This record gives sequence, C-alpha cells and structure tokens, in this order.
Amino acid sequence: MIMDRRTFMKAGCLGSASLLIQGLDPMMRADSAPPAVPAIELHGLPNYKPSPLGMPGLFPGRVIEVRDQAAITNNRVSQPVVRGLLRQAMKQLTGESSPRDAWAKFIQPNDIVGIKINPSGAPACCSSPELVREIIGAIRDLGVPARNILVYDRYSYEIDLGSYQALLPTEIQIVGIQDAFAGSGDGYEPTVYCDANFFGEWETRSYMASIVAHQVTKIINVPTMKDHSASGVTGALKNLAYGTFNNVARTHRAPYSFTNPAIGSLCTVEPLRSKSVLHIMDGMRQVWHGGPLTQVQEFIEQPGILLVATDPVAMDTIELAAIEKKRREKGAPSVWEHDPGSITPDTNVFFHDANKNLFFRQPGHVEAAGKLGLGVADLKQIDHRVV
Amino acid sequence: MTQEAAKQHSTRDWPTLLGDNARTGGQGQRPLHRPDKAAWQFRSGDAIRSAPVLQEGVLYVASVSGALYAIDVSTGLSQWKFQAAAQVHSTPSLSGNTILLGCDDGKVYAVDRHSGKKLWDAASQAEVWSSPVIRNGIVYFGSADGRVYAVDLQSGRPRWSRDLGGRIYSTAYVAERSLYVGCGDGKVYCLESASGKVVWDTPTGNGIDSSPAVTNEIVLIGSEDFFVYALNASTGEVRWKYETGLGIASSPAVSGDFAAIGSKDGFLYAFDLRTGQLRWKTAVGEVVTAPPVIGDGVVCIQAGGTFALDIGTGKVVWRASLGGAIQSVPVLAADSIYLASLSGEIHALR
Repeated sequence: MIMDRRTFMKAGCLGSASLLIQGLDPMMRADSAPPAVPAIELHGLPNYKPSPLGMPGLFPGRVIEVRDQAAITNNRVSQPVVRGLLRQAMKQLTGESSPRDAWAKFIQPNDIVGIKINPSGAPACCSSPELVREIIGAIRDLGVPARNILVYDRYSYEIDLGSYQALLPTEIQIVGIQDAFAGSGDGYEPTVYCDANFFGEWETRSYMASIVAHQVTKIINVPTMKDHSASGVTGALKNLAYGTFNNVARTHRAPYSFTNPAIGSLCTVEPLRSKSVLHIMDGMRQVWHGGPLTQVQEFIEQPGILLVATDPVAMDTIELAAIEKKRREKGAPSVWEHDPGSITPDTNVFFHDANKNLFFRQPGHVEAAGKLGLGVADLKQIDHRVV
Repeated sequence: MTQEAAKQHSTRDWPTLLGDNARTGGQGQRPLHRPDKAAWQFRSGDAIRSAPVLQEGVLYVASVSGALYAIDVSTGLSQWKFQAAAQVHSTPSLSGNTILLGCDDGKVYAVDRHSGKKLWDAASQAEVWSSPVIRNGIVYFGSADGRVYAVDLQSGRPRWSRDLGGRIYSTAYVAERSLYVGCGDGKVYCLESASGKVVWDTPTGNGIDSSPAVTNEIVLIGSEDFFVYALNASTGEVRWKYETGLGIASSPAVSGDFAAIGSKDGFLYAFDLRTGQLRWKTAVGEVVTAPPVIGDGVVCIQAGGTFALDIGTGKVVWRASLGGAIQSVPVLAADSIYLASLSGEIHALR
C-alpha cells in the first residue's frame, strides 16, 4: 500500500503539536478566498449488499435523550446510573419492553460487534469506560461471545490515554488501528477509499480500516458531545467517518475546512454505512469550546446525558443545537461564525479563548449528510424524545 | 569483573521499570545533573511505548513493532535486534544474562542479553503489557487475560497462575513472601509469591492501571478512581488515600518517606509516605501517565517534555524538550539520561 500523508507526517494527537505538524500555515490569511470544494470519489467494497439496518437505520429521525445529574459527579461517571439510563433509552428507542429485546433488534449472537469509541480528548472528555462496559454487557447478554466484541478506534495511543485496556472486561478485543506517532499503512483496506485533493496534498486517498471493511459485522457507535474546531461539532457522523478512514486531517488546513462535505461522504461508503446500526452518544461531559482535544475543564460541562438513535444525522442535529445553546449561554460566538477576526493560528490561544478558533467551522456537514440520505437534519422533523 | 567495576555498574545500571524491583526509581544514590548536550540519537523507525532498561553499558529498548534493540550507550549503535512475534508495550526486565519482555501475542520472551537469541517463551491467553518481575529465580507477570503467572527463570516452565478477574496491566511488586498487583477489576491484590494464593484484596472505585511500590510495610498505588492509596502491606487496610483531579495511570516512585505520583489531571503530586500529607503538587503537562523517577535532589517526569523538579519544593529545576515521550520513563545513569520518545527515538543526554 502507498504510504499515506497522514502516516508519513506522523500526525500527533495532542493539540498544538498535531496542528503544527499537520501543516497549519500561520501566514495563510483568514480573509483570503476559500478554495473550491474538490470532487470526491468514493470506492466502497465491491458487490456489498446494503443492509436495512444501515444508516439511517430502523428509526430515522428519532432521537432519545435521557439524563440524570447523578450520572456524573465531579468527573466520575456512575456505572449503575448509566446502566439505568441506557436501558431506559434503548426501550424508548425501540418500543420494546425489555432492554434485551431492544438490543436484539440490532445484534444477533453470531455477530462480530465493533464498538467505535471516541478516545480523542482523553482523559478530559472521551467515551466513558463505564458506558462502554454497559454496552459490552448488553451485547454479551444476547449471547455474543466476548471474543467477538472489538472496542476500537484509529489511534492506539489515545486508547491508552483513556486506560480502556485496564478498564474493560477480559476477553474482548481492544484495537487501535494505527499508532498516532509512527507506523505503516497496515490496518487499512487498499480497495476501499475516498479520493479527493483538498489542498494540493500529494496523497489524495483515505482508506477504510480493514476491521470495518472485513472483520466486524455490526458497529455500535459511541461518540462524545463536543465542539470541534474544524467541523463545528464532532458527533456520530464524525466519529464514524474520521475514526474509520486514515489520512483525514488533510481535509482541514487553517483556516479552511472541508469537513463538509467529507464527513457525510465518508459515512456513505459501504460497508461502513450498513454496519453502523446504533449510535449511543456519551453526553456525560459536554465540550462547548476547544474540541476535540481540550483538557481545559472550564470548557467542559457535566450534564449527564445519553442520546440514543439509529439516525446519526438526527442525533448530531440535536447535539449541534445543544452545543450552540451552551455557547450562547457562555457568551461565545456561534459555531457558524465565520468572522476572519476570530481566527488565530495559535493553538494555545484557541485552547484558552472561546472567542477564537483555528478554522472556519463547518457545522453544515450535518445537514449535508442528511442530503446524502444518512438521516434527518430538520429539527422540526426530528422525533426528539426527552425522557 | 573487578569489585570496583561491579560497584560502578551497580550505580549505572537500571535493570527494570523504575530502576529496580523496589521501584525506588533510582533514589538519591544516583547522581544527576542538568543535561547540556545530546550525545546521540537512535531511531528505531517505529513507535516506542515502553521504557528502556540499562545494564553494563547496554541499553535495551523495545519498539511497538516488537523489535528489541541492544544499544551500546557509548556509540548509540545497535548490537543486535530480536524480533518478537507481535507488538510490544512491555518494559523489559533484566536478570543476569536474561532479558524478559511481554508481548501482545500473550507470551513473555526470555532473550539472551549478549546474543539476542531467544531462550524460551511462556504463554498466557492475552497480551502482556506489564513488565516481568524476577525474584528468587521466578518470573512473575500479569496478563490482560486476568491472570498473574509465575514461571521458572531458567526454563519458562509454569509454577502457578491465579485468575484475578480483570485485565492486568499493572506491573507486580514482588517481596520475599508476597506479590502485590493492581487489577482492572479495581482491586489491589496481595498474593503469596510461592503459591499465588490470595492473601488479601482491597477494592478501589475503578480499574487499576498503576503499578504498586512497596516500602515500610506500605503498598502505594494509584487508581482510575482518582485516588492514591496507601495500604497496609500485611492486611490491605487503607492507611490513607488522597484524591487527585482525574484518574491515575502513573505509578509511584519512593525514596525514604518521600513518594511521588502523576495524575491525568496534569499534576505531579508529592506526599509524605507515612501520613499521606501533600508536600507539593506541580502542573507539568496536560496529562501525566508516566511514572516519575527520583534522582539526586530531583524528581523527573515525562509529560510532553522531561521535567526535573526540586524534590523539596516541586519547582522546575530544568526541562528537556525532546520527543513526546509522555508514557515512557527516563533512565538516570551516572552521567547520562536516556529518553525514549513515542515517535521511536532514543536520546542520550549528557
């Protein structure tokens, strides 16, 4: 396989370092004309038969929100409270009377289940191990052997920071598709990719992770609830797209971002679209500025929320509204703000000033994903049930 | 080796994680000065997620790709390379002419430290990220399969294994009769080192990634429940505990009644070991997961850069901004410091 730019550049994951080595050009003027959106060529797995469980899934437009202040106290997530919230949400989503029957709508005992966590931003805000344990427990209750459950993300290093290895049950597999700091293109399927030249980069392809293309049969997506400096928010869509394909940081070069339309486009590629059957958004913590990597507690609320849906677009639309509301309450600019004066090339400034950003955020990626058929983006049409 | 040479080596060697099996982190007997130049740099070509160890002028370091290198510290050149069958996240340990390291294929490999040839391997059922510990001819290690294993140092033959019920990433501390280890099920365990029988277990509020230090009848360890625990080594009773701002994956270093440990909240904490009273805490990075080590009047910690803090006040004495080796541990030798970076470089500073 061709060594991709991301691998070659050894993109890091710790804030300033990563942005600098990904080609942030402080000389690029924020008020210069944005480059045109390039053509995006998508190559899915040949002859893959789409599944009716695939996005937007069994319940398009439906989002269940459950919350309990006791779910998180002083940054500690309560396992029993999360268990209750998840069971309640699954029953509400499916209309089933038991959590087991609710889960059985998505997972069969012979499935190989991938749980796509979001450890980016660990330890301050990442998919809570307590929630992941409950998901594993629910899947095992259906008769799925532990060895057929994979908890995965793109970067093994970020998984380490979250200590998932030590905190999750024995026998399940914990997979970092690649190392953040070094390594080869191993772990990616060379025939499944997105080809687009965003900024004149020499490697224009992003490849799908092999475990998604070939190994798992179902994916449970566990995104977090965060502002994102390039995409506006990072939720279900971005967690799937940018956690499944490599060489994706090239879609944003300060101050411009092509996360719209890249995020939605990547989510349509088979078999990612068909295998992603359920999205459980971890809103125990909510980052309203500095995402996705911030460790600044000042910008992290602890509302104790879970969102559950099969429709990632509807879910992210609810998330986007929540992040916008919080930013408004805090006096921070909208994620839709495109004032050149708000752009800074200094990551340290960005991390500590909610009025500054590194990119012109692209929250429109959610609506764009809706137009690609991945779900419902119109708030008025979303069946948002707050329990 | 002459007696004098042996003595010299004893102050320069660093055969296990945190310096020695007592986790002293190279206490005050190891002179340390502010480094002012880079002597050499070795590039492994792959990420390094474990710490180097040092014996008789040879630095042993494993890369994630499973390559174990023996690097001559006088030249920075590799003498040999051993290739394990899978990835390696385990810090090697040295005992005599044998170097031991855990592997993601579930095995612990014993390698001849002069030739780089495999001597034996011992299997578990899941990856071994902990560092093997050697005492009285027995090798002890924990595995992600939830078991602690004891195997013979000479042959790798199993002595006993004990299922503890959670993933084990904590490196055990082995005393004459007892073995102490943290577990993913949130408990700290004391086992009989001869049989593996559980003597006591003490629950914490979340899983344990940290490795214990034991001194003066106190077991010191961190938990993902944000607390540092000091337990009675005989009974497991909690003598004191201290709450940090986030989970603890770092491991403690101790020297006399001084103890230090990092937290994911970005601070390095220093305690009075007997009372648990906080002596100082210093912000050293966004996240601290590496264990500190104690040098001559300073505590060193890797959190982005390498920091040396005054042991009495916690103030930064010097800082080396080489590599992003936040999960590794600096090796403090007599006149040198060796650092491994996540991007795969080994730096020798003089």
